[in-house]
Amino acid sequence: MPLVLHFAVDLSSSGHYVHLGPIQIAVANLIAIALMIAVFLLAVLLPFPRGKR
Amino acid sequence: MTARVVAAPERPIVSHGSPDDQMWTSKLRHRMFDNLPPERLLPDEQPAYVSSWIYVFGVLTLAALAVIIASGMVLAFAGPTWYHTSGVGHFVNSLHFWSVQIFFFVMVVHLWGKFWMAAWRGRRVLTWVSGAIAFLASIGAAFTGYLVQTNFASQWISAEAKDGLNSVGIGAWFNVMDVGQALLVHVALVPTVLALIVVWHVLLVRRRGVVPPIDGPDGAAGRGTRDVAAEPWRGLNRRYDIVKEFAVALTVVSLLTVALSALWSSPDEKAITLQRWATAAPADFVATASAELDGSSGTASYGAPYVDLKGAGQSIGPINLQKWAGVRIPVDPARQFVVVPLRTSLDPSVSGALAQWDGASGTQQVAWAAAFNAALGKAPDGDPAKVATGDYGPVPQMTAALLRQAQSGALDGPLALGGRFFQTDYTTSTLFLADGTYLEDQAVKEHLAGDQSGMMNETGAYPGQEWLWLYTFWYQIKPFSSEANSWGANADAIIWALMAVLSLGFILLPYIPGLRSLPRWVPVHRLIWREWYRSRSTG
Repeated sequence: MPLVLHFAVDLSSSGHYVHLGPIQIAVANLIAIALMIAVFLLAVLLPFPRGKR
Repeated sequence: MTARVVAAPERPIVSHGSPDDQMWTSKLRHRMFDNLPPERLLPDEQPAYVSSWIYVFGVLTLAALAVIIASGMVLAFAGPTWYHTSGVGHFVNSLHFWSVQIFFFVMVVHLWGKFWMAAWRGRRVLTWVSGAIAFLASIGAAFTGYLVQTNFASQWISAEAKDGLNSVGIGAWFNVMDVGQALLVHVALVPTVLALIVVWHVLLVRRRGVVPPIDGPDGAAGRGTRDVAAEPWRGLNRRYDIVKEFAVALTVVSLLTVALSALWSSPDEKAITLQRWATAAPADFVATASAELDGSSGTASYGAPYVDLKGAGQSIGPINLQKWAGVRIPVDPARQFVVVPLRTSLDPSVSGALAQWDGASGTQQVAWAAAFNAALGKAPDGDPAKVATGDYGPVPQMTAALLRQAQSGALDGPLALGGRFFQTDYTTSTLFLADGTYLEDQAVKEHLAGDQSGMMNETGAYPGQEWLWLYTFWYQIKPFSSEANSWGANADAIIWALMAVLSLGFILLPYIPGLRSLPRWVPVHRLIWREWYRSRSTG
């Protein structure tokens, strides 16, 4: 799996960019922001293990 | 004189009312133990409402900071050139790079969580304030880190960032092209300040405890004069092993950092040398050199802090911080970028040209260079060999000799070192390079230019500085994106002032009506504390 990721996503190659009106954003940055939102939602929604009271 | 012996073991750790209480040391000890007794500093239980994954992002941020500091200490010990030349060094640099990415990632999630919890309630405003200051200080730490990479990215970032800092006068004292200054700020000053702020923040969290649910714990918050959120928790507690939590967080962040570093390494595009510039773009090099001689280059017409030039520089209305800071880093582009380096040349044709230049008046020198510069602009492809004949004095010989010197690699040393042996300040060579178009052309190819939201971007396809999205956003929209109006011409200064106001608003958010009530109106807190609300409704 790690090797697949390494070869599938070459971060040392040229970047890809998304144009949103006047804004240009790198796909890597967009993924990072999307991941932040996803992780925040998961952190809020996933049940937390019950501790001993 | 006889010393009074105090039987220390007989005394309680905290004693009040004794004459010794007047001692500064006693007062400090009492204050410390009163505010932060050991069971609050290192608790083994916490309120039962602390039951959500969102709570782990604070400790994950601390863990990421620990990995940043550890990898940074290795890099600091080995020195700034190690990671360019050693595989191990590059891997440690990758650990540093990815731990910074993880740090900002988890810190932003932590920040969002605390916002939606309205975590400033119950006399916890200082906790929010210290956290917000820590976030902003972290941006400063990251910025200085990007400056000291000593590669293409740091070259471009310093050439661009200087304008923002200069526009508000900061650049006169903090010179981003002085790698030595930036390095010391990055490895000594900023980490110390950041560590102090983080310690302050963590102690405040421990002192005030974790904020209770909105409209809790007994549904009285906001009603009457009682601030229930500030009162000690008297309900159910759950077991909480804070040391184990940090150890687990540190392990998770360390493993993730190592995995990301092993998978994708880190960006390190080589810095552009003057030799590379002169070889790849000779016409641009010659045009830049002649612009330095006639005083029309970017640096020659910059104003403070480099050049004393009336009317130059940016201002915020009548406030001209750039001018008020003064010319603290004086630069004479014609002399320092062209004439002085030429004196080190072994080219036999140079001495005659320099003698003619030295013998002419300043007005004559500028007239020759301006005429040559104008002719270069009209020549096919700006090729110096195709310039029409004219009265250019020794300028063609001087610029041609400087080009040959640069192409041979013999200009990088004299321009960067400035006749010294030890030196860490690359102001002259960076300014000269930035006056040409070659550096910017390379940056545009990497989508690093200001009008490409480039401040957020990294070379290659690596994630960059997403946390600068708001700062770079202003440069993309009118009126700031057009230099044809005064807003655009003074964009750096105005945007810096705007960001200063917004940063202050971010720090003082608990005092801003409307914004501070948003977490109450949008019920994200109902999800975070759903177990507690459920248990309350079922009695």
